[in-house]
Amino acid sequence: MNPDTTKVWNEAGARANAAAQTARRRVTIDPITRLEGHGKIDIFLDDAGDVERAYLQIPELRGFEVFSLGRPAEEMPQITSRICGVCPTAHHMAATKALDDLYQVEPPPAARKIRELVYNTFVMEDHALHVYILGGPDFIVGPQAPPEQRNVVGVIQKVGIEVGKKVISMRRRLRELIAYFGGKVIHPVLGLPGGVSKGLKPEDLPPFQALAKDTLDFALFTLQVFKDIVLKNPDYVKLITSDAYTHRTYYMGLVDAQNRVNFYDGLVRVVDASGKEYAKFPARQYRDFVAEHVEPWSYVKFCFLKPLGWHGFEEGPQSSVYAVAPLARLNVADGMATPQAQKACEEFFNTLGGKPVHHTLANHWARVVEMIYAAERIVELLNDPEITSTDLRVIPSAKPSVGVGVVEAPRGTLYHHFETDGQGLITKANLIVATQNNAARIAMSVEKAAKGLIKKGNVSEGLLNMVEMAFRAYDPCFGCATHSLPGHLPLCVSIYDPRRNLLRQLVQPASLKLG
Amino acid sequence: MEASSPHVLPGKAPPRTKPVLVLGLGNDILSDDAVGLNVAREIRRHLSDSDGIEVQETSEMGLALLDHIVGFADLILVDAVQTRQAPPGFLHEFDGGQLKILSIVSPHFLGVGEIVALGRQLGLPVPGRVKIFAIEVKDPFTVGDSMTPALRRVLRPIALRVLAAARQLHGNRRVSRGG
Repeated sequence: MNPDTTKVWNEAGARANAAAQTARRRVTIDPITRLEGHGKIDIFLDDAGDVERAYLQIPELRGFEVFSLGRPAEEMPQITSRICGVCPTAHHMAATKALDDLYQVEPPPAARKIRELVYNTFVMEDHALHVYILGGPDFIVGPQAPPEQRNVVGVIQKVGIEVGKKVISMRRRLRELIAYFGGKVIHPVLGLPGGVSKGLKPEDLPPFQALAKDTLDFALFTLQVFKDIVLKNPDYVKLITSDAYTHRTYYMGLVDAQNRVNFYDGLVRVVDASGKEYAKFPARQYRDFVAEHVEPWSYVKFCFLKPLGWHGFEEGPQSSVYAVAPLARLNVADGMATPQAQKACEEFFNTLGGKPVHHTLANHWARVVEMIYAAERIVELLNDPEITSTDLRVIPSAKPSVGVGVVEAPRGTLYHHFETDGQGLITKANLIVATQNNAARIAMSVEKAAKGLIKKGNVSEGLLNMVEMAFRAYDPCFGCATHSLPGHLPLCVSIYDPRRNLLRQLVQPASLKLG
Repeated sequence: MEASSPHVLPGKAPPRTKPVLVLGLGNDILSDDAVGLNVAREIRRHLSDSDGIEVQETSEMGLALLDHIVGFADLILVDAVQTRQAPPGFLHEFDGGQLKILSIVSPHFLGVGEIVALGRQLGLPVPGRVKIFAIEVKDPFTVGDSMTPALRRVLRPIALRVLAAARQLHGNRRVSRGG
C-alpha cells in the first residue's frame, strides 16, 4: 500500500474508533481492515490502565431471512453455501439435511454414504489448511518466533518445501473429489431432499481409493509433524496448558449411536466442565437447549445453554457458556470411530491430563486427531461396496412444514432451521453457525489473554500475537468479511489516552516484499 | 457463471494460452460484494481474443486463489473494499509490488501477497506483476443479488479502466520482449 493510502486507512480506523469510544481508554485490534466497527477486538482499560473488559466483534450478515422468504426450500443448500466462501460444503450439507427433515425423507444408504464421503473430505481439506497454513504460524513456526517469520513463508521454511508441495497437492486432490460430486467446491450442487444428485461410477473408484490411502498417510504424517515440532517442545506444551488459555465451560458436539465423534450426523451431546453428560438431543430440539444472548456492544448473539439461563461470560460451575469445534467434539465423545484416530485421541487425553481438556490451544492438536478420523472414514467409505450403488434418492412426498439440520462444520456445530408453507416456500429461515456457538467463549479467551498482557497501561509488544492466538485456535469464521483488500490484512492495535487521543499504533510488521 | 477452478499440479505450469489474468473476486449474493465479479463480466463484453487477456471470476478466497493464478505472467485482481474515505464506486489502485507479506491474522485469510510468495517458494510459476483494483462499496453485508445504484452506474467505466490496465500490462510485456 502506498503511504497516502496507508495514511487514509489508518486515519479512517482512528476516526471510527474515536467516534465509538467511551470515556475509557481503549485498545483496538482490528483484524478485518475493510470494515469499521466490525470484526474487531476492542479492549477497554480502567483508570489504573489494566484491562477492564475485552470484546470480540464479528461482522453482521444482514438480510438472510428476508432474502430467503418465499423461495423454494430446495434452493437453500445453494443459497446458504454461497453466503460463506469459507465453509460452503458445511452449509450445503446442513441445509440438505434440513430438507430431509422438512420432507420427512430418509436418503438411501448409498446417498448417505456419498454425503458423508464428501463431507469428511471437506473437513480433511479444511483442517489441513488450518494446521499447516493458518494455525501454522502459532505452533509450526512458533509463538516466540520473530514476527517476520510468523507467516506462511515461515511455515514452509520450517517444514520444508517438499512438505509444502505435499500440502498443496493433497488439498487440490481432495478438492477434486468434492468437485466430482458437487460440480464446484465453492458452490456444490449435490444434496437433494432424500438423496444426492450424482453417484460414483465404478470405473472412477480406483483413483479415489488411491487418494484415500494417500490421505490417511498424509494425516498420520501430520500427526508426526505435530508431535515432532510441538509436543517435543516443552515450551509449547507449557503454553498449551497455561492458565491464560484455559476455560472450564460446557462442550457441545455431534456423536454417533456409540457416543463417538461424527461430523455428518448423530445426536448433539453436551457435557459439563467435569465431563459429565448434561444433555443429548436430536437437531429438532436445538431450541430447547440453545438460546442467544445479546449485548449492547456487539452484533453477535452469544449462544448459551437455555435451561441454565445466561450467567454472563463466566466459567466454572456457574457457567452456561459452551464451546464447539475440535476440542469440544473430542470432549463430548466417548472416543473415535476409527482405530488410528482412537489411538491418537487416547494419547491426546493421556498427555493433557484426562477428559475433559479445557485448554483452548489444544484445539490445534484435536484438529490433527480429527484429520486422522476423517481420512480413515474416507478410506472406509471408498471401500464400501455400496458406495457405487445407483440407488441415490427417495423422492419426497410428505407435506413440508419445519426442517432442522445439523452438521459439525470444521469449526463447530452448525444448525439450519427452515419453515415453509404447504408449497415448500420458505416462511422462516434461521442459521446458528459455529462461530456464534463459540462466541461467548472466544470473547472470554480474548479477554483473558488481554488481561494477562496489559498491566498498568503497558501494552506488551506480544499482545498482538497472544490475543490472536486466543481466537485463532477456535478457527472462527468471519465468512463474508474475508475478501479484504488490498490483498492482505494488517493487524492494528490502537492505544488511546483517557482523552481519546491516539497515543500510538502497533501494526503487525510487514517484512517481505512481494515484488 | 463462475469459471471453474483450473487445477494444476504443484511444480507444473498449467496450459495457459494468455499471459495476463484479470480475476474478479466477490460474492454475488452479498449485494455490492459482487462488484468484482460484475466488473469481470463487463470486461469480457469488451474483450477480443487478440488482447491476450484471460478473464475469470471466483467467490473463492485464500489458498484457493493459487489454483487460479498459477501459470499467468501478470495478474490483475478486482475486488470490493470499504474504507468509507471515498464515495461508493471510487476506484482504488494498488501496485502489487508494494504488497507485503504479513503474519496471518484472520483465521481464514491469506492475502494475495502470501499466496504469490507461497507459490514462488514452492517453485510454482506465479505471476511476476500483480495489480489490484479495489472498488469502494456501500453495502457488502446484506444478502441480496443486486448491487446498490452507485455501483451499477460505475460498472462500465471501471471495467474499461481495468481492461486498459490489462492491455497495458500485455503491451509492456510484448515491448519488453522486443516485440
